[in-house]
Amino acid sequence: MVKYKKTLKNIIMSIAFLLVLALCIAASVTVLRRKDSRYKYADFFEKAKADQIDVLFIGSSHVINAINPSVLFDEYGITSYNMGGHGSVMQATYWELKEALQYTKPKCVVVDTFLMQKNYQYLDLMYEDSDESERRSSIQQLHLNMDVWPLNDLKVEAIKDLIYDEDIQKEFLFDFLVYHSRWDELSKNDFEALTGKAEKNPYFGSEMRYGIELTPGFFPDPEEGEMLDDVTVGMFYLKRIIEECQDNDIEVIVTFYPCSATTEDKKAANSAAYICDRMDVPFVDMNDRDIVDMYTDLNDTGHLSVTGSIKVTRYIGGIIAESGDYEDHRDDPAYADWQSGADFFYDEVKDLAVDSDDIYQQLNYLSMGETGAIIYVNDGSEAFVDEEFARLIKNISGTDKFEKTRGPYILISDPGSGAVYEAFGGDLLEGADTAFGRLFYQPVEHMFRILYAEGDEDNNYLYDDGKLDYDIQIITYDRDLGDELSHKYYRSYGGRYER
Amino acid sequence: MQFVSFGFLVFLPVAVLINFIVPRKYRYIWLFVTSVVFYLSLDLMAFAVLAGTILVNFAGGLLIGRSAFPDKEKGLSEIVTAPDKTADRRSHKGTVLFALLILIDLAALFIFRSGSIIGAIGISFYMLKTIGYLVDVYKGSIRPEKNFVMFALFVSFFPQVVSGPIDRAGNLLPQFVYPVTVDFDRLREGLLQMLWGYILKLVLADRLAIFVGAVFDAPGSYPGTVVFIATVFYTFEIYCDFAGYSNIAIGAAKILGIDVKKNFDVPYLAASIPEFWRRWHISLSSWLRDYVYIPLGGNRKGTARKYLNILIVFAVSGIWHGSGLTFLVWGMLHGFYQVIGYLLKPLRDRGAALFGIERSSFSHRAIKVIVTFMLVNIAWVFFRADSLETALVVLRRSLEFTPWAIFDGSIFAPGLNYRNLCLLAMGLLVMAVVDIFEYRGVDIFGRVIAQGIWLRWLVAIGGVLLVLICGIWGPGYDAASFIYQQF
Repeated sequence: MVKYKKTLKNIIMSIAFLLVLALCIAASVTVLRRKDSRYKYADFFEKAKADQIDVLFIGSSHVINAINPSVLFDEYGITSYNMGGHGSVMQATYWELKEALQYTKPKCVVVDTFLMQKNYQYLDLMYEDSDESERRSSIQQLHLNMDVWPLNDLKVEAIKDLIYDEDIQKEFLFDFLVYHSRWDELSKNDFEALTGKAEKNPYFGSEMRYGIELTPGFFPDPEEGEMLDDVTVGMFYLKRIIEECQDNDIEVIVTFYPCSATTEDKKAANSAAYICDRMDVPFVDMNDRDIVDMYTDLNDTGHLSVTGSIKVTRYIGGIIAESGDYEDHRDDPAYADWQSGADFFYDEVKDLAVDSDDIYQQLNYLSMGETGAIIYVNDGSEAFVDEEFARLIKNISGTDKFEKTRGPYILISDPGSGAVYEAFGGDLLEGADTAFGRLFYQPVEHMFRILYAEGDEDNNYLYDDGKLDYDIQIITYDRDLGDELSHKYYRSYGGRYER
Repeated sequence: MQFVSFGFLVFLPVAVLINFIVPRKYRYIWLFVTSVVFYLSLDLMAFAVLAGTILVNFAGGLLIGRSAFPDKEKGLSEIVTAPDKTADRRSHKGTVLFALLILIDLAALFIFRSGSIIGAIGISFYMLKTIGYLVDVYKGSIRPEKNFVMFALFVSFFPQVVSGPIDRAGNLLPQFVYPVTVDFDRLREGLLQMLWGYILKLVLADRLAIFVGAVFDAPGSYPGTVVFIATVFYTFEIYCDFAGYSNIAIGAAKILGIDVKKNFDVPYLAASIPEFWRRWHISLSSWLRDYVYIPLGGNRKGTARKYLNILIVFAVSGIWHGSGLTFLVWGMLHGFYQVIGYLLKPLRDRGAALFGIERSSFSHRAIKVIVTFMLVNIAWVFFRADSLETALVVLRRSLEFTPWAIFDGSIFAPGLNYRNLCLLAMGLLVMAVVDIFEYRGVDIFGRVIAQGIWLRWLVAIGGVLLVLICGIWGPGYDAASFIYQQF
């Protein structure tokens, strides 16, 4: 009897030990897992559970940077999630959609076709001549797409379809295999995952880029309607994506977002157009339409900047809104989170317009109209021979007056009222009505000019004894309240601008 | 299925559980089945070599036994202690057969070890077991095993088959006949020993290997002090690697009810090279002593012959480790260390007397331990290097004194960042503490088990998490990377 009691006690103790051990291991797995995937999709699960997703945007990093659900909500009251994945080829996008559809059934799926010309099945093999670093990068990028989905039959099927090597398949199915070695890079955020407080993407899956590509590439157009030479793996999966949506009664819109498209990219777009035509779904090739300014709205040759993203989202939003019966959720208290997200985004754009490190970026953000701006360029400034600078000014003013003068030049943009005032050479501005006040401008001599608001004549905004050698000034103010937000001075020399 | 694989972590509990249920007298059959499964999972073709070895040596043992024990005394696996009488009764035919079998075994060892026909995993280890068995039978020290399964299990016992320890028939066969009961304490002790083995291997040895591999691949690219540190790291790497393996093997055998003799006994606290060899890879050292050194005459045939025998034994040891010249140099260096040690002994004695050195003092012993460690360290350079030229470059570079390399960031160049080096330093410190306890005769695993539940659980859970989190494993990891598995 005593022996049995002891055995029973040992068994109970062993089970208790194994339970505690399992708990510790589970906690370790949570802490050590790379947070990128969870960061991107955390809100997706929450919104999908609340059945609040009208539209899913899927595709590659072009989608991540081109579509901002916050803008879509702010403009049209349509809810959406950006499911784009870095380096996502069409087959990865297909499985991403399959996974997402387990949690939500949107009214519309917008699928981008960039990378459709890729003609390989397995992301760990790619092409025969792909080098090791490309393969590694491809595998790592797939982790961003796949890590967040729980292990089930669908995930196993997806990984087997995307990855050839069985050992690499395992690292997707049991990601602790790769992430256990993150112990030497853990941060506070990793531990906060234990309490569910880890950081999450504030833009509903999108990522905004704040750079500006001043020298985008332009490539020859293919022959009219010329398509890719081969039927690619990407084309096959585009067809599967469309079929999947049609099977689920989900509207599909196929897109090709603006970028410095190569001739091959344009052929891929033509191929996509052909497939869409055959399958009776709309195709929107935004490279063919005057939606963005290629000189100011690209972050790099491949990806849109935040300004490009706002324009593209507004454009595709219009198409979506017209294509179906979408409820405007903007005044619905249940959707307050979405409005908070939109407000957060526009506040950020406003902050960047008020205080950017780079004059090009600041001018670019000012063109978004989130803040009022007064831009003064003194005569003799090198800005007058800078084509990029002129283009950015034109995006704010809507005119080409800046290109026609050698200064002095002043531009007052008052987005609250929608008014734009310009003056150059010896011209005066008398009584420009803005949120900043009723403004008066008069150039006197090279080192002296006057800008004051009615009722505050002693305050000359454009003169400062200590800043006489600065030839460019940018004053920003709150578009509604008129409070001054920033006053920046820049000096142009040798094609550069120094604050 | 390697020790460091998910498959083994599933296989072992199943083997242990069923072993616990199977009646004691049939357990050897179950252990044989598990050993076959284990080996087949390693390499199907190599199993043919193992099976051939078992068959030939089983039959050979019986035939030799007939000449050694013509009166066919009763009993299986029975140890007798009358070799002198039996020696006289051996027939000439038995001697020829014995010599022939030894030659066949040695030929098989060298042929299949090279991998040119079939690479037979663990052949260097299980072949020494069978040769030892044949010698013991021939000498009449043990009776030939008549139960085929029992003999086959002796050769193929899975915790030992890949890299030892090279156990003796006299130790294992009686245990297979009557394995001890695995109670809760034994289970815990075995598992704890295995856990310690995994820590040594995955957390320390494989982490050290990153640094060592980078430096030995391009010794000219690193400052002298970094190269010197790499040589010291290798000295620890090979210890952690092999002792780690041995702990896993011994722990696994323990939870199956079999006690395997220990393979290491704090070797780096040895105060002389002969002492080092009494503590390092004990199963091989004692095998070479019993089956090579003593048959050659040992120290019974004069001083010169003793020195020659030592050199022969270490040459054999070097060749056993590998066909490269570097292994021969490594073995010979150890041989010369010992011969020179003996030659200098009168001089050392006189010096100690002249300067009044208290040889039993801690300070004197510490110096001896350090000198022994450095001699062993130098020899390991040849063991690790791909060629003699590389070994000489490593040794030459390690003499260049560039301590600033520790502070200017060069120390991180061979692939371990600051946090990894800190972890390594802490790990080696813990290992040193455990070794010092063991050196002083403290049963560290027994001590842990005797503690209260919270401390026991803390140690066990901490150890498992340490291996899972800080162990070097995952994609790209070679589970067959135990250094001694290649021999």
